[in-house]
Amino acid sequence: MNTAAPILIFFTAIVVLLALLVALRAELTRARGGKILAFVALCILPALAVWAGVHEQVERSTTTRFCLSCHVMDDFGRSLHVDDKGYIPAAHFQNNFVPRDHACFTCHTDYTMFGDYRAKWRGLHHVWVEYVGTVPKPAEIKLYTPYNNRECLHCHAGARSYEENSRHVKDPNTLPLASENKLSCMSSDCHDTVHDVGTLKDVTFWKASE
Amino acid sequence: MRANSIERRIRWSGILIGAGLIVQMLTLLWTHPLAFMAFALLGCPLVGAGILFFLYSLVSHGAPPETESPPFR
Repeated sequence: MNTAAPILIFFTAIVVLLALLVALRAELTRARGGKILAFVALCILPALAVWAGVHEQVERSTTTRFCLSCHVMDDFGRSLHVDDKGYIPAAHFQNNFVPRDHACFTCHTDYTMFGDYRAKWRGLHHVWVEYVGTVPKPAEIKLYTPYNNRECLHCHAGARSYEENSRHVKDPNTLPLASENKLSCMSSDCHDTVHDVGTLKDVTFWKASE
Repeated sequence: MRANSIERRIRWSGILIGAGLIVQMLTLLWTHPLAFMAFALLGCPLVGAGILFFLYSLVSHGAPPETESPPFR
């Protein structure tokens, strides 16, 4: 729970009390002051509370803990701890290239105008499948569309480690093709070991020092 | 009669909003997809329905009988 949550819970409790006060003493609204109280307690404050609640819930839904709370995601969570820098998600997670508490969302949102909303919509679909649909086996889970380089370049574009990497500059076409998404970062024998949950039984895992 | 009608609607609005916000409070205590779904599918619709019902009660409440206004001067 973040620091805003207790404040939001307290605020919501106050609004509940006001709403129930107006509900139980509706005759208060006969007076002018009561009308104003009813408008504030039954319109303005609940709208504010829900707006804040939506913000809090959406923020929580971007956390690694939230994504990994579905059982089918267990192996994907374990793949973040593989002791092999060839595993792209593990290298990003363990070296803080992505925030650890928002690791999934950082790489799996679309960095476009409505990318976050699309990611939320996909997330709702995942939750629906988890509780209502047929849950696939972890190794059968695939992306809806091939991973777009745009998501990698959101962080790596312009970085010296990316622009001057010997393998990236060996062929002068590599970087232009990658930036146009015509050469996938994750294929072409480059960064092709991603979660690979089917191989986890053969790998060793890194344990973070306390 | 009219006053009773609007008060009844306001009472129902308050109950709907209170129930929705209680759901919201409970979901804030738990970070889990089920809490998110309960918030989105139960809490929000209850509060939204309560607010809309309250606004409806205001607009559906007829205007008070016209009193004779002084002539415009």
